[in-house]
Amino acid sequence: MSTTDRKPDPCDADATGPRAVELEDVQLTVDDGVAVVRLGREDEHMVTLTRSRIDQIEAAIDRLGGRHDLLGVIVTGPGPGMFCAGADVNLIREVTDAAEGERAAVRGRSVFAKLRALKVPVVAAIEGPCLGGGLELALFCDVRVASDHPATQIGLPEVKLGIVPGFGGTQNLTRLVGLPKALDLILTGKLLRGKQAARAGLVDRFVPATKLLSAAREEIDRLAAAHRKSRPRRLRGGAFWLSRTPLRALVVRAARKRLAQDQARFYPAPRRALQCCVDALRRSEADGYAAEAKALGEMIVTPTSKGLVHLFFLTERQKRLGRHPDARELQRALVVGGGVMGAGIAAELAQKGMSVRLTDVALEPLQRAKARLQGTLDKRVRRRRIERHEALAVQDRLAVATAPGNLRDTDLWLEAVVEDLGVKQKLMGDAIAHGLPDDAVIATNTSSLSVSAMQQQVAHPERVVGIHFFNPPEKMPLVEVIRGRQTDDATVATACRLALRLGKFPVVVADAPGFLVNRCLSPYINEAARLLLEGVHPEAIDGAMLDFGMPMGPCRLLDEVGFDVAAKVSEVMHAAFPERMQPCALFAAMVAAKALGRKTGGGIYGQQGTGKGPGRAVVADLRRQRATPPREVSRSELVHRLIYPLVDEAYRCLDEGLVADEQDLDLGLVMGIGFPPFTGGITRYAAREGLATIVARLDELARTFDPRFAPGDGLRRRSVRC
Amino acid sequence: MSAPRTVLVAGVRTPFCKAGGALLGASAADLATHVFRELLDRTPIRRGDVDEVILGCAGPDAREANVARVAALRCGLPEETPAVTVMRNCASGMEAIACAHEKILAGSGDVFLVGGAESMSNFPLLMGPRLVQFFTRLGKARSFGQKLAALASFRPSALRPRIALLEGLRDPTTGLMMGHTAEKVAQRFGIDRAAMDAFALQSHQRATAALREGRFAREVVPMVTPPRFASAVEHDDGVRTEQTIEALQKLRPVFDKREGDVTVGNSCQVTDGAAALLVMSHDKAKALGLEPLALVRATATAALSPTFMGLGPVHATPLALERAGLDFDDIELVELNEAFAAQVLGCMAAFRDQGYCREVLGRDGAIGELDPEILNVNGGAIALGHPIGATGARLLLTLAHELHRRSARHGVATLCIGGGQGQAVVLEAA
Repeated sequence: MSTTDRKPDPCDADATGPRAVELEDVQLTVDDGVAVVRLGREDEHMVTLTRSRIDQIEAAIDRLGGRHDLLGVIVTGPGPGMFCAGADVNLIREVTDAAEGERAAVRGRSVFAKLRALKVPVVAAIEGPCLGGGLELALFCDVRVASDHPATQIGLPEVKLGIVPGFGGTQNLTRLVGLPKALDLILTGKLLRGKQAARAGLVDRFVPATKLLSAAREEIDRLAAAHRKSRPRRLRGGAFWLSRTPLRALVVRAARKRLAQDQARFYPAPRRALQCCVDALRRSEADGYAAEAKALGEMIVTPTSKGLVHLFFLTERQKRLGRHPDARELQRALVVGGGVMGAGIAAELAQKGMSVRLTDVALEPLQRAKARLQGTLDKRVRRRRIERHEALAVQDRLAVATAPGNLRDTDLWLEAVVEDLGVKQKLMGDAIAHGLPDDAVIATNTSSLSVSAMQQQVAHPERVVGIHFFNPPEKMPLVEVIRGRQTDDATVATACRLALRLGKFPVVVADAPGFLVNRCLSPYINEAARLLLEGVHPEAIDGAMLDFGMPMGPCRLLDEVGFDVAAKVSEVMHAAFPERMQPCALFAAMVAAKALGRKTGGGIYGQQGTGKGPGRAVVADLRRQRATPPREVSRSELVHRLIYPLVDEAYRCLDEGLVADEQDLDLGLVMGIGFPPFTGGITRYAAREGLATIVARLDELARTFDPRFAPGDGLRRRSVRC
Repeated sequence: MSAPRTVLVAGVRTPFCKAGGALLGASAADLATHVFRELLDRTPIRRGDVDEVILGCAGPDAREANVARVAALRCGLPEETPAVTVMRNCASGMEAIACAHEKILAGSGDVFLVGGAESMSNFPLLMGPRLVQFFTRLGKARSFGQKLAALASFRPSALRPRIALLEGLRDPTTGLMMGHTAEKVAQRFGIDRAAMDAFALQSHQRATAALREGRFAREVVPMVTPPRFASAVEHDDGVRTEQTIEALQKLRPVFDKREGDVTVGNSCQVTDGAAALLVMSHDKAKALGLEPLALVRATATAALSPTFMGLGPVHATPLALERAGLDFDDIELVELNEAFAAQVLGCMAAFRDQGYCREVLGRDGAIGELDPEILNVNGGAIALGHPIGATGARLLLTLAHELHRRSARHGVATLCIGGGQGQAVVLEAA
């Protein structure tokens, strides 16, 4: 397309002379019979839908509707790698009235629907994020073309904010790609790359970035030549049978079942979205749209949505940690220690483009590390997440060896070896002796030792930082960045940036026993163990916590991490807080009985995580020795005894300066221990529960049951204030 | 300014494993990538310091024809680092060092990552010419009748594959298998079966001793084996620690089945493996503060009748020594590749044979007596195997380490080359 020599046409029906219409936030030009609507300003780097932008989009469409000389319209972003990332999340946060939410949905959708009502073909030229409202806008276009720009992401992630798509997304997507694929996207909020979107039928063409606009123009010319407004579309094959025939019930039933399981049951939005998608096939267009808008209104005011939106802003806040001016991008890592953590961290680093050398004294764990990574990669290749040659490159980036080699080219040194201060200090010294450059980050994955203590024997203490991953590192989304007494800001910022690059959320924590997560978990698992010894069934304890919204009950958690680890952590916590954190006798007894959990023949549960494990006998023995009579413990008492001390401990951490603010507590405990995300975090939960209620109940437990429940001064002070 | 000198700074190799065995799943590029990465990780140089990669490989896979470039990219060198694969049959790995040496002398670079790699497990079966012609005919057929005729021309016998490994071991100008040329050498110098078997046994015994004493630990790096990474290899696996002379004597000749003496037992093994060396100009090594292993004093390549290709070392060694300004007696250690026991013994005979040295080499008299006690002191390809492209680099690596171990000064690594050539490199311990 060579249009460089032509001047853009006038655009207003009543304007004179060629000029681009400046609509403030939306740009409109007409060139050679094709109008281009750019959804943002040139100086924007993220296009979101605000009320005023929606008004301006409407104004632009209205102007085009008045013209009779157009061949077609291209809707696109303001520049490379940009389309529209959906509704402004601030708007979602502010809506407190269901009717207001419903009105907003109707408004947006009616504006977008005007695109479809235009007489000429409308092509969405998609590059960069095309999310939520952005995709819903594109779905009202007649043709969608997506570019191979690396930032291209297409999807409807509304459920992740606790709402449903409200601008016609459930309706148009279901009709376009059929029920199974639509549900796969809408109920999970999953995002697709351009190529995947083309494969799913979500976009019509997948083109190189440089050809995006010319391809869009081609589509218009082709449709114009055929005097058509849009491509003929019909569902075919499986998509047809599973959408348009009674077989649909199978898909719906399977989806319902999934949404009733586990944690999904706490989230109403996917269930409403499912209903909307089914409506798209069963009801009239107008009814479908109306029902969807109503669903949005209902969902947007739920506490779940408010909680998830709160967390969304917290994650956005953490992303800024990586943009610190002193944060460096690390390239080459040496990971010492081929155990589960070391191997897992090394694999994560290699998958995110770093060159990694993993060392261990023995070859066998190194071989297992490579094999495990291959398993992960094979799965990703099978699911078409990556290509074979990309998997090969990842594997090539992970070298394993029993010798450390020379470290001159290394900029991240990280150890995940046995928890022994002397060993770790010696390894750090060796690393520097092996040529580790002066500016390299020296990191420890310790969970129980003091980073400040490690710094004392090392030549560059300001470069020593804790980067605490959780087990299993490929799944757990939190990284505690531990600032030792001498750690400098640049090192902390670089560690945060690394965590973000790995797709994890960093929380900066001060160097104190247990850091944030293990410290808060300590009273929780201790209490669970005590409840077991009081004769409460593990199923009852875990059930209560699952109903509370935790991803896993504390007894099962103990089995997963292992009682040996729990015993060790509880010792560290006991040393730090001798009165409050006396370890439950069960830990030592389980270790003595070699019933450590999954890693041995099972713990409280069997080795496969089901049935009864050898630990039950240990519990029974201890109970016999103590001769405590079984006692009925109500569900609410379980919650009070397990969760309220967790709240208290979190506030103690805040008051002791372990974390900077309440937001860090919220994010850290949601990501670190799986505190229910729908609550919006632990401080939000506590506020809704009422701090005074919590303090009163803890006081009562301390009085009638055990002084360990006595709440901290910080929590008491706050409860009085509010 | 003095003329540039070449040094070997460091080297590593994979374990050498019998073809079809532990390293079956590794391509030549996999093997080369592993040793390159390990060598880079061990040496205090930056990736960008490498001027070029030179890799010897006699039979790269069709998917990685320039296997050097593939390995260079995969081992994490910058995209800007050029890479070339060199091929001189059995000497390909040594040719890589010779190339680097010449480039350094010519001033075309200072730092070279070189080596050799061969996956003999993965030498392909090829479609025979009749099958190729069948597909060509079918592809060209336009009308239905033509297609039918083309299809009808198919004969099942066309499916018989060509075995690249065997065809590669046959010299096309003389029609002789490499084993046949070894028989010719044996015949010429009157080497009998007993001598061959005794030499083969000694190779296994010396390699066994070297393994037991951990002498290869200086050069071998373990490898977790692709593609599943379900196991790891740590040591050369061709060495038969319990080899007996009786067992060797029982074997039947393989090439000349009636009158021959060359058996699989007194020939080199078919093996997978790779070796890598870091070669630098002396000045650059000094500037980077590196302690070199050895100095490359000279390289030489010579050629002779393909029928007697096994005598290649006899032709190349004196030439290299002459270039180094050394006498045959100055040499304290020799690595002479054991393609066949017959051929090694033939070389020893030729070195001391006045007639051969006079008539064929045009010298005044014999070259000298090669002391068996300084020859292949840690065993050779009969025990360790001969991954064709990798061996030349392996010989230099082993030689350099052994020079240090014995505090010896000068050593020669040399090998015979299918097609009638010989190559030799003189090292001086640094």
